[in-house]
Amino acid sequence: MKGSRVAKRYARALLGLSEDHGQLEKWGAELERLARIADAPEIALRLASPEVSHEARIEAMAKIAERLDLSYPLRSLAVVVARHGRIANLTAVSESYQDQLDVLLGRARATLTFAREPKAEDTAAVVRGLEAMVHKTVIATVKVDQALLGGVVAELEGKIYDGSLATRLSEAARRLAG
Amino acid sequence: MQRSVIVIKRTLRAKIALIRLIGLTGLIELGGAVLLAPATGWCAEGGAGEAAGGGSWLSLFFYVINFAVFVWILVHYAGPAARKFFADRAGGIRETFARAEATYKEAQDLANRMAERMARLEAEKQQLRTDLDAETGYIANRIREMARETALRIVRDTELTGDAITEAAHRRVRAKLAETTGRLARELMVRSFSDDDQARLLRGFEEKLAQEARR
Repeated sequence: MKGSRVAKRYARALLGLSEDHGQLEKWGAELERLARIADAPEIALRLASPEVSHEARIEAMAKIAERLDLSYPLRSLAVVVARHGRIANLTAVSESYQDQLDVLLGRARATLTFAREPKAEDTAAVVRGLEAMVHKTVIATVKVDQALLGGVVAELEGKIYDGSLATRLSEAARRLAG
Repeated sequence: MQRSVIVIKRTLRAKIALIRLIGLTGLIELGGAVLLAPATGWCAEGGAGEAAGGGSWLSLFFYVINFAVFVWILVHYAGPAARKFFADRAGGIRETFARAEATYKEAQDLANRMAERMARLEAEKQQLRTDLDAETGYIANRIREMARETALRIVRDTELTGDAITEAAHRRVRAKLAETTGRLARELMVRSFSDDDQARLLRGFEEKLAQEARR
């Protein structure tokens, strides 16, 4: 859904507006909050129920946006999305917005998976290495997976850089097996 | 067959010669008997007369007349029948002889044809034997060649199968060894992996990223 044409269109429209108002990061964060609430199971279930009328759905989205204290363009976006029956696409719109914003600002998002909880300087060092490689600002999401045994695995722009001990052992075993 | 024909021919010739001999001898004997019989009677009677004191020329004369009548009757009545008999007999013998000659010639022709045919059959038999020997030799060679090829193929397949089995066994052993080694190494790492090891791995990873960046 992230790459759907509908989500990209909504994200591009909001991005243009937020760039004009100099609110790229703020509106992006508000959109992410709105998407997270709308995607919550109990709310998504009710909003998708056929017992809820179209008008009630629009009113509910307006109230959610108001309760979240969103900026006016985000409230308008919530109503428009509800009116067009695209509430289920809000998460994809938010992700697409972040992708386009990253491109606009020259940023890249990376997922760093460590074998054990990393120190801040270790994370920073890996991020620096990635930034030097792609010449962009890297925003890292850190995860821990003990199955890696040791080392780290970085996923950046669709590529995986594997420095884990588990992979090294697997490769050694494969070479040994011939 | 040719021999039997020759025997028949000889028998016929012998019979003809015997009949001729009997005819001539018979005539001589018959003439002699006719001439000598009255003389014998006359001599016997004359001898008896002379012994008794006198012969009879009249008796001789009657005997001669009697004999002449006898000869005339014999020649007149029995002669034609006898001549006809002997002529028919000679004709029949000649006809039989001619048939025997024809049969003999036919038999000879047949024998010649049979001899030619036997010679031809013998030649055909020799030819067939030669052809059969050649064909048998060819088939035997072909069978030997096929057997040799089959044996070579079986040997080759066996070698390939043996190699494949050996290779598969080696692979299984290597895989088992690798699996065991990997499991042991993993257990060892889990037990003895330290923060220093993690830091070392991270340094190595950073160097790898730096190398990528320099490219």
